[in-house]
Amino acid sequence: MLSLGSVGAKSTKPSFVSYVTPEEIKLEKEPPKKEIHPDLLPGEVEFCSANPILKYTQDDLSQRGIFGTLFCTNFRITFISDEISQEETTKTFQNKLYGENDIPLMCVDHIYGVYDEKRKLITGGLVKNKYPSKMIIHCKDLRVFQFCLTYTKEEDAKRIFHGIVHHCLEEKSLKCVFAFSYTWTPSPEMQRKQETILFDSPEDWTQEMKRTKANCRLVTENENFDLSQRLPKYFVIPSALGDLFSYQGKGFPIWCWSHHSGCALFKASLPSVTQEDGDIQKHVDIMINAVAHNYLYSAKTEDLSESLPTIQDIQQSYNKFKQFFLIENSTDFWLSDMKWFSSLESSGWLDIIRQCLQKAVEVVECLEKENTNVLITEEEGTDLCCVISSLVQIMLDPYYRTLMGFQSLVQKEWVAGCHAFLDRCNHLHQKDKECHSPVFLLFLECVWQLVQQHSPAFQFSETYLTVLSDSVHVPVFSTFLFNSPHHRESVMKAESPLAQSSQLSCPTVWDWSVQFDSKAQNFFFNPLYSEKVKNERAVRKPHKLKHQRQLSLPSTAFKTPFKKGFFKDETESLKKMLRVKRLSRWMGSPDSTAAISREFYESWQQRPLDYHGLLLPCLDGPAVRVWMQRYLRWIPEVHILGGGSMAVITKIMELLSQVQDLKRVLEQRDSSQAAKLDHRPYIQHRLLSFGSSGRLSSSFPFSYSRNLSFKPNIPTGLMQCLMVTDSLASQEDEASSFVSLV
Amino acid sequence: MMSHSSLHAHGRDVFGLCCLPGECVLQRAVLVRKKLSAKEGGGWLSGTLFCTHFRVAFVPQDSQKPDDNADPVLLGDHDVALASIDKVVAVGPSRTKLVTPTCSLKFTPEELVLYCRDLRVLCFLFDRLTPDTQALEITYTIAKTYQPLKPGTILSFQNAALGSIEMKQFLSNRWHDPNMNWFECSMGWEQELERTGASGWRVSSVNDRFEMSTSLPRFSVVPQRVLDTELKKTFAHFNEGRIPRWCWRHPHGSDLLRMASFQNNIYHEKDDIRNLESVLFGGQQLCVIVDLGEEMPSPADIQLAHTRLRTLCLGDISSSVSVPDDKWLSTLESTRWLDYTRCCLRKAAEVACLLGGGHMTVVLQEPEDRDMNCVVCGLVQVMCDPHCRTVPGFQGLVQKEWITAGHKFLSRINYHRESDKEEAPVFLLFLDCVWQLWAQYPTRFQLTEDYLLALHDSVHLPLFSSFLANSQRERCRRSQHLPQSYTPVNGLRELPKGAPEEPVDPPFPPVWDWALQYSSLRRSRFTQPVSQPACPPPVLNGNLNTNQDHGWPNDGLPGSVFLLSRGTFSHPSNLLPWRSGNSGSYWKSHRRAPSSESLSGLERLIRACSLSEPSENPSTLHDPYEPLLPLLLGPCVRVWRACYLRGALHAQAFSHPASSCSQHPLDQLAWEVQQLREKVAQASHRHPENQTKRQEPLRLESNLNQNANNGTFLFSSSSRTSQQQPSSRGAAHSSVIPKAQRTASDPPRPVQRNNGKHTFLFGHQQEPQSGLRYIPSPSAKLHKRPGNSY
Repeated sequence: MLSLGSVGAKSTKPSFVSYVTPEEIKLEKEPPKKEIHPDLLPGEVEFCSANPILKYTQDDLSQRGIFGTLFCTNFRITFISDEISQEETTKTFQNKLYGENDIPLMCVDHIYGVYDEKRKLITGGLVKNKYPSKMIIHCKDLRVFQFCLTYTKEEDAKRIFHGIVHHCLEEKSLKCVFAFSYTWTPSPEMQRKQETILFDSPEDWTQEMKRTKANCRLVTENENFDLSQRLPKYFVIPSALGDLFSYQGKGFPIWCWSHHSGCALFKASLPSVTQEDGDIQKHVDIMINAVAHNYLYSAKTEDLSESLPTIQDIQQSYNKFKQFFLIENSTDFWLSDMKWFSSLESSGWLDIIRQCLQKAVEVVECLEKENTNVLITEEEGTDLCCVISSLVQIMLDPYYRTLMGFQSLVQKEWVAGCHAFLDRCNHLHQKDKECHSPVFLLFLECVWQLVQQHSPAFQFSETYLTVLSDSVHVPVFSTFLFNSPHHRESVMKAESPLAQSSQLSCPTVWDWSVQFDSKAQNFFFNPLYSEKVKNERAVRKPHKLKHQRQLSLPSTAFKTPFKKGFFKDETESLKKMLRVKRLSRWMGSPDSTAAISREFYESWQQRPLDYHGLLLPCLDGPAVRVWMQRYLRWIPEVHILGGGSMAVITKIMELLSQVQDLKRVLEQRDSSQAAKLDHRPYIQHRLLSFGSSGRLSSSFPFSYSRNLSFKPNIPTGLMQCLMVTDSLASQEDEASSFVSLV
Repeated sequence: MMSHSSLHAHGRDVFGLCCLPGECVLQRAVLVRKKLSAKEGGGWLSGTLFCTHFRVAFVPQDSQKPDDNADPVLLGDHDVALASIDKVVAVGPSRTKLVTPTCSLKFTPEELVLYCRDLRVLCFLFDRLTPDTQALEITYTIAKTYQPLKPGTILSFQNAALGSIEMKQFLSNRWHDPNMNWFECSMGWEQELERTGASGWRVSSVNDRFEMSTSLPRFSVVPQRVLDTELKKTFAHFNEGRIPRWCWRHPHGSDLLRMASFQNNIYHEKDDIRNLESVLFGGQQLCVIVDLGEEMPSPADIQLAHTRLRTLCLGDISSSVSVPDDKWLSTLESTRWLDYTRCCLRKAAEVACLLGGGHMTVVLQEPEDRDMNCVVCGLVQVMCDPHCRTVPGFQGLVQKEWITAGHKFLSRINYHRESDKEEAPVFLLFLDCVWQLWAQYPTRFQLTEDYLLALHDSVHLPLFSSFLANSQRERCRRSQHLPQSYTPVNGLRELPKGAPEEPVDPPFPPVWDWALQYSSLRRSRFTQPVSQPACPPPVLNGNLNTNQDHGWPNDGLPGSVFLLSRGTFSHPSNLLPWRSGNSGSYWKSHRRAPSSESLSGLERLIRACSLSEPSENPSTLHDPYEPLLPLLLGPCVRVWRACYLRGALHAQAFSHPASSCSQHPLDQLAWEVQQLREKVAQASHRHPENQTKRQEPLRLESNLNQNANNGTFLFSSSSRTSQQQPSSRGAAHSSVIPKAQRTASDPPRPVQRNNGKHTFLFGHQQEPQSGLRYIPSPSAKLHKRPGNSY
């Protein structure tokens, strides 16, 4: 059988270049075929299908591909190859819900149609009778699919094209999302105790306050969302704040986290006060006062919308940035290569990351060094506030650097914290472009930078972050589907009116076993995570400098932070001070801000790094990097087979599993002297079998046989010389003509 | 081993500086703090700062008294040689100033920043209690001593430190590492021929007295069929007499050669032509000449790029113009350093793929044959030959392709500041390229980043014979003249004219004498903690080309020649000057169907390149000779942070500093495994009733030793290991082998049953305990060190 593509594990010799046009192949094919159907998930319904569709392979300009059937269901677009590849399941890192040829409908970013060699962006309304010869789908997880529709029957093609466009691009209601038809039955394995704290009960909040020794008040008045629909069901406020109903309709400071010194971080949705609006002003003052009462009458406020880019800026920058990675064929990528760094820079995405981290460092400095309460505000209070507050907590609190802690943090700050996932991620393809923004992704990016710089401090790996960023677009989980807890509750109630008890059961995204088997989940853990050592070894004390002097780097004059009032009498002046400060940005001019936080960073850097203490990111030019694993994973040209960091990690995992083995042997030997089991994530033995089955690719799905490019790895004209037979022939002519001349 | 332990030689300053023989302290400052990089743990270390003739030394307060019997290390962990200092900057309360030998400071420096040529930055902070005079004086002293006032004097201060009799004796009796191939005698070349399984080549000593070519080594490898008398005639046809010489044979049977460009204005005798063809073709029918002259960066380009990179990475207090963070990437791009790295790697990858095709000679041609040929030739071998990824192998490679091959280290590094035009860090570019490979395939190297870094730093230290000459001839002359007290002023261009009265140079040690420079702790980081393939089983299939060989008639029917340039093959008419128009008679007389011939040649090239695809066959996945092809796209080529960015004081958080453990995480894990194994051993001793359990630790140990001795891949499929263990060539380690044999001969069955489930889990059928077999141990590493052999 003629095989065209190289997707199947061992279907083709990659060097094989077919010069037969697809038409010819079609003629040669056996016409009758048995019906292929995708393996549907429970509750999944097939809408339409078309056969044969040619799926182009990504890596070259030539029109090669695989024939197969394209389906559109209420969950995904799926392509099933005609060539039955037997060993499809040998992949190391496979998502159970969708495979490499499946695109969840929510994951579709843009669809382009190629009409007569011209590429057009398809928008929902535009579709008429005409259908394109080629359909290009850009996914939100940066995959690119190209389907050729010309080989199928006209009505089939029309139907599948319209079907896909309808289901992916038309504005739809939340009810249509697959999660509501997905009939999920928790497997017994998942029944075990949920370890991630979801922050949907008062106990969770009380527990959290206890953990951080916070001195605040839990609010339960909003249980039925009487106070506000944009507030969580339960939340915590400064204890100085009185009756909340008198402030209805206005934002209050919501407690995020308490530093061990007693000062705390609050966030609030407060409008930025530009004109002297007495009413708002008064309200803001009360709020700041309440925050200041929390600890030593000190407070700083920061209006994030003033100093950080707006969510529209973030969206624009990300759109620019992701274009570098949405590659339709490798030639595009080669072209972008020479100007790689400067084009990355021009998108500004890395700079936005830097700004967010910078702001978080400033907040950390206030909490850690100056021990003041901090109130961060924003119009909505649920976008950049979430980013900054979460980052601050990760930097300050080692608990949030564990996997469970991180998941709890996302629950606390984002899910329970009313981040409008539905609007920001544009799950429903709304026309209103204003509210789309990859804010959550921005947060993950910032975390990734931290993970990159201080990997032993984090229990989770970058793979975990990548998977999490993908899961946002899988419409199976309830976690990222709603705009707020109120939204969730109202939708859920409406969905299951019959029995309140059996509420619609969507798995949360934290049930990783829904997506991955335990083998794949091993990759979520950082094998080099340095566990908290119980018997604290004598850490070298930071060298006390006799006279503190600023270090080498010339920075502008160092400003001493002004002292906070310690007495009640000063409240009035404090308020005045605060107002002045708030209006004149954080503290002083932007320059000195940077200088001061630089000094803070350096004094931190002088201390020996404690992975269970404060962590600060380095923000210099070379330090902020591109999240290679996420962005480059679908580009076969940058995959290192058998190399890269994966190779090292696999080896470390092997070593770890040996350690665990030996410990177990010890335990068996000597049961009386119970050897403590390693508390590192348990690495399963099967991981070792990679060594024999094939090397892992450095890139994310870690498979070996995928993405075999038929090109050699050398990016030169050598290839052109080899592939273009015409030029070869002409060279022959030259050569022979020369010879004949002689 | 030496009589250098006289009191004078180890004259200890009151503050604990352990001086080298003949070294004396010029200036001292007390109560100084040194800023530690994040890799060293961060923070500050207080101690005493010294300036001697030779180095700036820093002795921490609480440092242990060094063992007087230990061999002196030239540079301690906190020291820097004066010769590698590039700039001295004093930071005062309000200003910073670049200190030159002539200038005077108007303020007392509070901080002293030394910018080194190897991109390190050392930062010393004077305390309030440091006497002002000391702070001032040491700054002046360093500024005066580090800078040679005029070109050439650089050696004089070196000699002051190293010229003493004791030092000379000490240096000349250094241990010559027998484990690596020095390529200094014909034996070395013969070993290499044997190792690579090359046949049809011989070692010629025609250049033994450097009469044929001054820049070539004494020995070169040429085709067996060419007699020395015939060979002599070919030298004239090449620039500087650098004839095509064999470098390496690919296991698939193709040979890698290098040569300089042809001399064009020379008449080609008929006999000459035959010899030239033989030299060029070796025993093969197809020859590809890879032109490295055109598209590769010129030395001047490299120098410019390196200067720019340096400015970008170091930042500079004195100039205080720094690149804004958000422009860093585009500035990096504009240095073009990464482009050049890519360019070299790309060329080397092309050549590596070509060689994989087998049965051809690939000849690297560069006008001078002394820069890019070294880079590409070295890289090809690092990519294709696992032996070159071990420390001894890599050192041999540098000996072979750089040091003896006549790379102009002295001019290129420009120690004496007298060849500014020629200065170009070509060797550093090579190291960067190797690092790129290492960064992409860390698990397939035995050497580590630390090793590359150490080599990088040594280049800037004008101490090593390896780098202190432009050719092997200069090196030989120096060492020959050494016993006589004779002033080789005329003979040695590079000797300082200012110091002709200096009777003899001390015998400079080779750079590979790492014990001179680094403590054993640092040297232990030169190799991967997880034992790596020491060297692969030699695959002697170089003679497999029987099918091809018979087609080579003795009368020398010309094979086809192609030029690989700009990524394409071509067949230009003037590729081989003797085949072009003038000497057409020869060509005509041997005329056959030329087009078909070149067609077949091209087809073979194409096949060769298609072989470079990753094979899907799992058995070939572990082919140790599968070239490491680097990925060269923008995102894959990276900045060598640990090297270029370590100096930038603000960038020290990069390397993952180990706070709780000062070791590399892998080190620590390996250590942990070792500990546990000891525990297991103890536990089993405590229960002596169980025979089988007692045996297990033994087995482990023997397995480990085997892994250390025979060069198998630790992480490859276990079948190879089990097959090769009997034929292990670790005969020298006789104390180990019996154990291994015993385990093999009387396998303790109960243990195997005990481990039966492991077998199942690991999926290795041959060896039940294969999971444990992987365990590296420090002891295993020790066995590899020749110095510690029994």
